Amino acid sequence: MTTPPTSFESFLLLGPEIALVLAALTAWLGGAFLGLRWGWPVALVGIGAALGIARLQPATAASAGVTLDAFSGFIRWLVLVLGGLLALVQSGDLFLSASSRGPGRHRGGTCEEAGTFLVLLAGLSLTGLASDLVTLFAGLELVSIPTYILLALKRSDARGQEAGLKYFFLSLVASALFLYAIVCLYGLGGSTDLGTIAARLREPAAAESLRALIPVALGMAIVAAAFRLAAVPMHFYAPDVYEGTSPGNAALLSTLPKVAGLVVLARIVSLSVPLELFWQAAAVLAAVTMTVGNVMALWQRNLRRLLACSSIAHAGYLLVGVAVAAAATPSTQQPADPAAAALLATSTLDGMSATLFYLATYAVATIGLFGALAYLGHRWPEWTSGSGPRPPLEEVALVDDLDGLSSTNPVAAFAIALFLLSLAGIPPLPGFWGKLSLAASALQVDWTAPVTFGSRRAAFVALAVVLVVNAAIAAAYYLRIIGAIYFRTTKRGVQADGGLAAGVAMLACGLIVLMVALQPIGLFTVASRAGSSMSRIVSGNTVGYVP
Amino acid sequence: MPIDSPLTLLVLVPLLPLVAALVGVVFGRRLGGWAHLPAVAGIGASAAISLMLLAGTAERVKSASNDVDSATSVSVEGVTTLWQWATVDHPDLPAARPPAAVGSFSIPVALRLDPLTATMLSIITCVGLLVAIYSAGYMHGDPGYPRFFVLVSMFVFSMTMLVAASNFLLVYVFWEAVGACSYLLIGFWYTKPEAARAAKKAFLVNRVGDFGLAVATFLLWMTYGTLNFHDVTAADGTLLPGILGPARLHDAAGYVGGAVGAAICLLLLLAACGKSAQLPLHVWLPDAMEGPTPASALIHAATMVTAGVYLVARCAPIFVACPDALAAVSIVGATTALVAALIGTVQNDLKRVLAYSTISQLGYMFASLGTGTLLGFSAAIFHLVTHAFFKALLFLGAGSVMHSMGGVIDMRRFGGLRRIMPVTAATFLVGSLALAGVAPFAGFFSKDEILAALHGKGWPHAHAEHHEAGPAHHAAVGPAVLPATGFSAAGTAADFVSDTRVDAAAADSAAVVLDRPATWRVLFWMSLVTAGLTAFYTFRAVFMTFTGPTRVPDEAGHHAHESPLPMTGPLVVLAVASAVSGWWLFTTHALADFLAATPSFAAPAVAATAVPHAFHVDLAVQGTLAAAIGIVVAAFGHLGRRSDGPQLERFLGPLRTLFAEKFYFDPIYSGLIVKPLQALAYLAALIDRLVVDGLVDALARLPAGLGAIVRRLQSGLLQRYALAGALGTLLIVLALTWRMRS
Repeated sequence: MTTPPTSFESFLLLGPEIALVLAALTAWLGGAFLGLRWGWPVALVGIGAALGIARLQPATAASAGVTLDAFSGFIRWLVLVLGGLLALVQSGDLFLSASSRGPGRHRGGTCEEAGTFLVLLAGLSLTGLASDLVTLFAGLELVSIPTYILLALKRSDARGQEAGLKYFFLSLVASALFLYAIVCLYGLGGSTDLGTIAARLREPAAAESLRALIPVALGMAIVAAAFRLAAVPMHFYAPDVYEGTSPGNAALLSTLPKVAGLVVLARIVSLSVPLELFWQAAAVLAAVTMTVGNVMALWQRNLRRLLACSSIAHAGYLLVGVAVAAAATPSTQQPADPAAAALLATSTLDGMSATLFYLATYAVATIGLFGALAYLGHRWPEWTSGSGPRPPLEEVALVDDLDGLSSTNPVAAFAIALFLLSLAGIPPLPGFWGKLSLAASALQVDWTAPVTFGSRRAAFVALAVVLVVNAAIAAAYYLRIIGAIYFRTTKRGVQADGGLAAGVAMLACGLIVLMVALQPIGLFTVASRAGSSMSRIVSGNTVGYVP
Repeated sequence: MPIDSPLTLLVLVPLLPLVAALVGVVFGRRLGGWAHLPAVAGIGASAAISLMLLAGTAERVKSASNDVDSATSVSVEGVTTLWQWATVDHPDLPAARPPAAVGSFSIPVALRLDPLTATMLSIITCVGLLVAIYSAGYMHGDPGYPRFFVLVSMFVFSMTMLVAASNFLLVYVFWEAVGACSYLLIGFWYTKPEAARAAKKAFLVNRVGDFGLAVATFLLWMTYGTLNFHDVTAADGTLLPGILGPARLHDAAGYVGGAVGAAICLLLLLAACGKSAQLPLHVWLPDAMEGPTPASALIHAATMVTAGVYLVARCAPIFVACPDALAAVSIVGATTALVAALIGTVQNDLKRVLAYSTISQLGYMFASLGTGTLLGFSAAIFHLVTHAFFKALLFLGAGSVMHSMGGVIDMRRFGGLRRIMPVTAATFLVGSLALAGVAPFAGFFSKDEILAALHGKGWPHAHAEHHEAGPAHHAAVGPAVLPATGFSAAGTAADFVSDTRVDAAAADSAAVVLDRPATWRVLFWMSLVTAGLTAFYTFRAVFMTFTGPTRVPDEAGHHAHESPLPMTGPLVVLAVASAVSGWWLFTTHALADFLAATPSFAAPAVAATAVPHAFHVDLAVQGTLAAAIGIVVAAFGHLGRRSDGPQLERFLGPLRTLFAEKFYFDPIYSGLIVKPLQALAYLAALIDRLVVDGLVDALARLPAGLGAIVRRLQSGLLQRYALAGALGTLLIVLALTWRMRS
């Protein structure tokens, strides 16, 4: 397997990423030298250009260190769409600090943020494309470093700084762990190219002396990915950081790093290291993560902490699909019962596809939620005329702050309810289809085998049960918010003084949620194609490089 | 006229009311007092289109019969498939009968146009339009004004879809949809406990019938492998016969009899009984009068309750294959007619009198359907048409009275209203004459046809000469298909089929239990008695309300007055229709000839029973005599007297209590069904609260407790987070190493 040399084609392949970086440079330099005050429109134009270039590219192609196939195409497409939505939320996220005196409306100079954000997107897209450990690591760092900057830029108060620092240090730990994992893999495979490593690992005579490195490499890579997914054991930062930063940043943190973490895990699956080990680790982490996230969220009163906990729980759901992908060889036997076979054939995705589908639906609903929070902005504190002057506006932070939103802002109330219901997995919203396909893919593992204790099938049946139970627990806190919005009344006036762009992002996410709810087949098809292209790599039919 | 245009227009008939409903939903509040405009415009346009379609279809029937041969029965239908709603391809899907497409289950959203549908559409939209106009006056100032018109539009949409749908699943969907609209309209004033209760009752009783329709649909699919009415040509050119399509209609062995056939028919009958308020599911209709009077007129008198009649008429070939099931239809119908008429004689609430009269008249239609002859089917639809006019008229008249009397509807509390509201009184009188079946008015002709159909079954030999007199109707001409793509017309080989049918009947005569002349004779006499009773209670109501000394209840205040023009206008229109429609349709024989071209009625088994058009003098005399007796007795009891004065009812003795208590249906149902179910529900609730909830509460405490522990770990200290991450890594690496070793 020869790696084609870097060439002009490599640059063409990375066209969308290059467009993003060019837009970032425009924003930075324009802000510094040309008096450009609004960076986000530039960001949107850059994302649009990247989407346009991405459309022109072939479906599969490869060059040094990067491979474009259905999987990386899906990741790129997802990143750009989410990036567009996030750019809207970010630009509508007008607040400098949690106790700011009124909305910081006239906050120019967003060019730095926008440029940094664009680099982040470019890095994430590169992560999806990477077929080499070095490229992968470079992509991941291109995600992490801009994230630190964004966290530091957005909030200047103590909590914001604390959040930024916490994220920074823990992220460094995760990066270090991943570097160790890379070193181990290099030791195992003698190459940084993923395909070469996979081929070497499949050889029966792979050096026995080095096999001890496998658990180390796997464990460290998993923890590194767990940090980005906000999964156990690297989940602790999420509530603190989300609470400390702005809604826009929370939206970013709860979606884009998850994409990166998932790409890392998918690449590990594609290495076909002893997958028996891998799925067991992933399944245990999935069960623990979703349970921890959900029970933590159960009594949260702070909205952003609650959503952070919920994002932990969703990381657990995503891990279910990864475990299935690691466990199930793609040539899963068809069940004997024809009716069940028909059901499975029409309604289920394999593990990786289900995960990708779920990731997309989760990300859109979450961005919509944070967009709604950014849009709602501030509220008046409780105040009676006898008790002195009216205190300043406070940021919408608690579940109680949404009391009676249905009467004061019905559109936002409906949108929030829609997102929450989707996250809770209420049919026919996208979250339901996602959970359904995750659970179905778990049940599909070894479909014909009997459920005996300790068997793979038993483990996955148990995992599916844990998923469903967790979905029920999660419904409790999601519905609590909806209950506050629709069934309580309040004297606190929610101002809806956030940026209009955040409201637009909220509406766009709502529209996407409704569209996927009515016609899930489109996203199903795309996710299925992307996921099965990963499965093909696992099964050994590695996509040959296009000469 | 282009071939496609009628079918395009057909889509507009349900679509416009739907658009009106959506406009009402979105802009209803803004429109306020003008909220009736979208409904009136939408239903009005839809009515105009329906009438155009009716005329177009009539034209087509005429040209088809000219083209083929005057002696052949033709069938005309057009089907337009909007989209495939659901398609499931699976080799294991069962199909008991080979011609059906094995292994595929496909539900097209298909609308059809044939004489029966065109007739129904016209009735629904025209009455709907008049009711919408009337409601603009009647509902004026009601806080739910916009909601009312949204519901009326929704109802017209659902009902037109119901009669235009060309497969059983769609019929089921809109069967439920009209039920939902009816529920919402009965409970329109939902703050009134009686209204809420009546709505619930109507819904629940209807569920019993809906269950029948659902199971009938399952059975039909299991039996015929399709749910379509029409034939479908598959992509590979094979013809997939629909249940009521020409291909199966002309297949002598197209319909199953025996237990399965009877089960399908009886389940369909159950469904029809629910929706059309026939015994034993009639109990919801009188209570449904709690809804606004225009809604009662539209839904619970003129249109929705005729859905059952429509369903049985549409399924005529299926029923004809099961003579006993047909007889059951008639028995149910005639019994309902008689029982409801008896109850109606002692009611004092004007709307309830009309409600029972509706049940009774629907019973007539069922009795007529059950004869299974072409005359019976067309007479039922004829009666449906005339009944829609005069019953809507009577209901709207009662609404007018109620409107003016400050909401009072108890006939004993007012009298002599003809002096206060002359237009209402005059139109109400016309409607009553039509209902009572007095000579030139609409009801007389349609009722006469029904009696003739029953008489023909009871005394077959008396009618035999008619059969011989009209051999032209049986002339066998080969099938002929018109070149038109949208419509198809086919001649029937009537004699051949009728012969085989006679043989089959002879062979099965031992198995036939109910379908005997004696049965039909009893049913005929029951119907005749019912005719007399109808005349009696109708005129009892007229005399109590409009004659005698003028009395106005206190609730009306001092402003008892004739109703405004939007209310009296529709009354006059309906009165004219009630007066002349019967005479016109009967003498020209337009409706019967037209309906005979409906595929279901052009089926050889039905078409073979055609008899030449005739006016039965003996039956007319009998019917008129019965009506005259009724009116005279009513006049004897109530004409010109105070309405709460001496009443005839005391002559009835204990029977009066029986009638006034409505044959004790409600207490019996309450004791046999409602109370045991309530006890069961109470028990279930108890178990749910104590056992299930206790378990769930205990389980719910588990995550909460776990959350408390997990939250303690959430210290906010960065060092601890990093430590946890490092420990976690170590743990995972160790566990993986251990797993790999083992």
